[in-house]
Amino acid sequence: MATNMRGLTQYISDIRACRVRELEEKRINREMAHIRQKFKEGQLDGYQKKKYLAKVVFTYILGYKVDVGHMEAVNLISSTKYSEKQIGYLALTLLMHENSDLVRLVINSVRKDLEDNNEINNCLALHAIATLGGKEMAEALGEGVYRALISATSTTFVKKKAALTLLRLYRKHPTVLPAKDWAERIVSMMDDHDPGVSLTATSLVTAMCQDEMEAFEGCYEKAVKKLDRIVFDGDYPAEYVYYKVPNPWLQVKLLRLLQYYPPPESQRVVEMIGSVLQGILDISQETPRNVQHNNAQNAVLFEAINLAIHVDPDSVVVHNAGVLLGRFILAKETNVRYLGLDAMAHLAACSTSLEPVKKHQDTIILSLKDRDISVRRRALDLLYSMCDLTNSKVIVGELVRYLQVADYNLREEMVLKIAILTERFATEYEWYVDTILQLISAAGDHVGAEVWYRVVQLVTNNEDLQPYAASAVFQHLQAAQVHETMIKVGGYVLGEFGHLIANEQGCSPIEQFQALHSKVNLCTAPTRALLLTTYIKWVNLFPEIKDHLINIFERYTHVLDAELQQRACEYLALARRPDTDDLLASICDEMPVFPERESTLVHRLHAKGSKSQDKRTWVIGGRDENQERQGQRFKAFRQGTQDSNGSSGEAAAPVVSRAQPAGPSAAAAAPAPVERREPERKETLVDDMMGPAANGRSESDIMSSLADLDLGATTAAQEEPLLSGNGGGMVQSPMEERGPDGEFTPLTATLGGVDPVLVAPLTVAPNIEKWFERLTYANEGVLYEDKQVQIGLKSEYHGHQGRLAVFIGNKLSHPFTAFRCSIDNPAGEALGLTFHDAPVSEIQPQSQVQELIHVECKDVFTDPPVLRVTYLAGSFTTLVLRLPVVVSRFVEGVTLEQAPFFERWKIIGGAPREAQLVFPIKLTPTGDLDLARNIKVVGGNRLSLLSGIDPNPNNLVMAGVLHSSTAGKVGILGRLEPNKDAKLCRMTIRSTNEKVSAEVLRLASKPLNADLAAS
Amino acid sequence: MIKFILVQNRQGKTRLSKWYTPYDDDEKVRLRGEVHRLIAPRDQKYQSNFVEFRSDKIVYRRYAGLFFCCCVDSNDNELAYLEAIHLFVEVLDAFFQNVCELDLVFSFYKVYAILDEIFLAGEIEETSKQVVLDRLDYLEKLE
Repeated sequence: MATNMRGLTQYISDIRACRVRELEEKRINREMAHIRQKFKEGQLDGYQKKKYLAKVVFTYILGYKVDVGHMEAVNLISSTKYSEKQIGYLALTLLMHENSDLVRLVINSVRKDLEDNNEINNCLALHAIATLGGKEMAEALGEGVYRALISATSTTFVKKKAALTLLRLYRKHPTVLPAKDWAERIVSMMDDHDPGVSLTATSLVTAMCQDEMEAFEGCYEKAVKKLDRIVFDGDYPAEYVYYKVPNPWLQVKLLRLLQYYPPPESQRVVEMIGSVLQGILDISQETPRNVQHNNAQNAVLFEAINLAIHVDPDSVVVHNAGVLLGRFILAKETNVRYLGLDAMAHLAACSTSLEPVKKHQDTIILSLKDRDISVRRRALDLLYSMCDLTNSKVIVGELVRYLQVADYNLREEMVLKIAILTERFATEYEWYVDTILQLISAAGDHVGAEVWYRVVQLVTNNEDLQPYAASAVFQHLQAAQVHETMIKVGGYVLGEFGHLIANEQGCSPIEQFQALHSKVNLCTAPTRALLLTTYIKWVNLFPEIKDHLINIFERYTHVLDAELQQRACEYLALARRPDTDDLLASICDEMPVFPERESTLVHRLHAKGSKSQDKRTWVIGGRDENQERQGQRFKAFRQGTQDSNGSSGEAAAPVVSRAQPAGPSAAAAAPAPVERREPERKETLVDDMMGPAANGRSESDIMSSLADLDLGATTAAQEEPLLSGNGGGMVQSPMEERGPDGEFTPLTATLGGVDPVLVAPLTVAPNIEKWFERLTYANEGVLYEDKQVQIGLKSEYHGHQGRLAVFIGNKLSHPFTAFRCSIDNPAGEALGLTFHDAPVSEIQPQSQVQELIHVECKDVFTDPPVLRVTYLAGSFTTLVLRLPVVVSRFVEGVTLEQAPFFERWKIIGGAPREAQLVFPIKLTPTGDLDLARNIKVVGGNRLSLLSGIDPNPNNLVMAGVLHSSTAGKVGILGRLEPNKDAKLCRMTIRSTNEKVSAEVLRLASKPLNADLAAS
Repeated sequence: MIKFILVQNRQGKTRLSKWYTPYDDDEKVRLRGEVHRLIAPRDQKYQSNFVEFRSDKIVYRRYAGLFFCCCVDSNDNELAYLEAIHLFVEVLDAFFQNVCELDLVFSFYKVYAILDEIFLAGEIEETSKQVVLDRLDYLEKLE
């Protein structure tokens, strides 16, 4: 690092010795002149440049404007010495900001350092990019920073800095960087063995995943596992323990990251999170004496509580946390009280029951009088969040009382909150009007225009409220000191509804007029204008005071304010028209009812926190607001999941209510409703199968005639393990493995509707097509194999359900790390997919892991799901493979006699429900028809061969039923007629659904087609 | 994320300022003044280490005559940043062997280098005191 520079030290000492500012300025001006001179002369060596530049920087830090040194800074960063470079970069980052023109000049030098072999230079370059980071830098250097991040040769320091530099660039210019393409690689860095790299990668992922939830989805499990290892396994290096707390910052980051995803669907993950959170809660039962220890522990604890509330506000963990929070808000340390109230506000904002919070209502109200304004603010937020019908009167009362003594910079927010609460929980109109008027008279200056607009809106729209509002506002106007906002409300309400109380004692028109007009002298022009309008309305309503009013209009025709003068002139003309004229009456008719609109108040309140870099995970306020926000936040995420849940037609109905699974309560609400919904759904399914007419198709008669086809087939639900023998423990019945929704849901769904094949191209290798094709008609075999990895597959299908076991074997002598497996489902809702991700992130050498997949055919589909396997073994490898889940796998064979076969064959008839193809075939080496293979392929497509129907033994006749849970059953009949001499074959498929015919034909003919077959 | 880090003495003289969001010079002067006026009069014993500032919040701690302030997003974890400040101070203390305000004045360029090892781009970069100190030792030995 820069060795001491005597000249610099002297300069600083001189400045410090200056008693008064003038002397200081004099000394600085002398020095700057000297430096300017030196720079002008040129021919300075590195040390001199460094020294002078350091002086310039120091002067700048003191707060003086400097106009020299920019070019020298640019020169100095190209120096070969670290100490000189460092000062150069320091001057650069201090004297310039991202929009300076000079930044353009340094991009090339920075690039050189970034790509240098010396990691020290890399780091300096990264510091500069991270601090300046404008758009041009992002465009020119973003790629380079990413390369520095992932390069195997980068040191941990470079990786850490590159991750955060990328984060900075991404935050400023998210569109410049292809975050989606980098997702997998960046997520895998969370597993880096260096905790610093892991921390910074997590920060980066946290920022990026907020926009690209699908692409970064893999981070969720990683974060959970990492937390699990830190909390339970003590898996962290000793130098990362901070006052006995293992890496609190990493824990906090991970806990925060999890809050950017909706609660997980997999029960296993939910349990894992639950135990981690409880573990953190348990650790913090006793309060350490050391401040640092206590703070670090609480930092983790409060983040854990926030996550617990996010995952499931009604869980046991949250209940325990609630008890803890009750203690915290009474704590002696102000920090703890502050955080306790904050967390409790989160709880109140998301919880289904406010009871645990309400227990502490008195303490919370008392916190409004805390010595620290920060605590008072939190108490205010909490009271706002916990307010409901039962306690609204008490809370609003307390708030209004406190408003009189509250800090000035707290009042506006308070007024807003009181106004919202009063409106939301008003059961009596009187209470609403009283409270708002009280609010205006107590803190008029802080009442925004929205508040009194809203009063007027509500009074106009509620007829019952009008007389009371008029008399209440009239009472308030009697006070000696009346706030201008009150006069505005008074002017509007009395002008509109004053006549409703005109007959009451003390409220006669002349008294109303005097009450308002006595205040007019203190009012601003807009209020006076409003009052003129009130008066013209009174001319219409109260003819008895017309002379007074005309008198006033006359006076106002001479004021200087153009607006007032114009109004006065117009109103005067209107008032002077003869009484028989009904123009006045029609102009001054009662105001129409306002269209019902959302209160702008809430919007205004939330505008406050919207500027933060990371999206807020929750907002102050009630449950509804938060649910709505979460719905918005997670809207795009797991869209595919939702789609595949909701199937078309009647079956969709019970699913609709689940359209927002993202709300914090979704998980909470799930267990109960599922039991209710499950039978409902089954009924609709049964209806679908039994009543084909429900499908509204004209060929329903055909359907019913084919419905008996499945007599011989097994029924759908098969409870016993299908893949018995293959790690029986992991094989579970489909019913048990349903997600919290009670639905089959894919872990990874389509990437926001984009065909995943486009996002990540399928892996290309010589035999892939052959392996895939073979597996479309065989139950087990190789899906993929290369030098490193072998992927095998076993499958079993029954009815519309099936299960696949994917075996992924590591053939190398070192382990695969950062292993991850996911599935994209381009078929969307036609194919249900549940993926039981094995909890592994590593595959040991020479061993294999098994992943289980459940599939459910809901409708006819053509696109098979895509398996994505990523791992790190030397280099980062991504395999994207189609899974042989095709529609014919869900077919079950049936046997038919000759007569019924031909009867049905005829009913279906020709095109479009018939699909036919003539294609070339290969003969066996002996020149015969390969009958065995034909039988194998047809049988593998799960159609039964029917004997005794076609007299020609070479011809095959087949039948089957396609099972699908939503679209019902589809009968399939087919014939295969090979011709040895022509080396051709004709295949005909007839089914009740033209899509099925075409798809089955395509699948069954392809392995036999000499032109197309891959094997 | 951190918007800026300020180290100021009780008179309001800024000893260190690092900006992670671009402000122009006039705005920086304004922010320094506002933060000082907000923090300095706060009671050390009865008031928390957090205070709202514009639409963000400031997490701060006083060490002798110096206020170390971090301006962070309103929904950031307060204690994590409070302890990050402490970590920074501990590193300074170990590096300068009993750090005092004058160290920050005379060796300002080293302080910035130290800061860059702990915070970058408004996020915490390294949380192990040992790792940072070893790195600083290494940098110190470079020419």
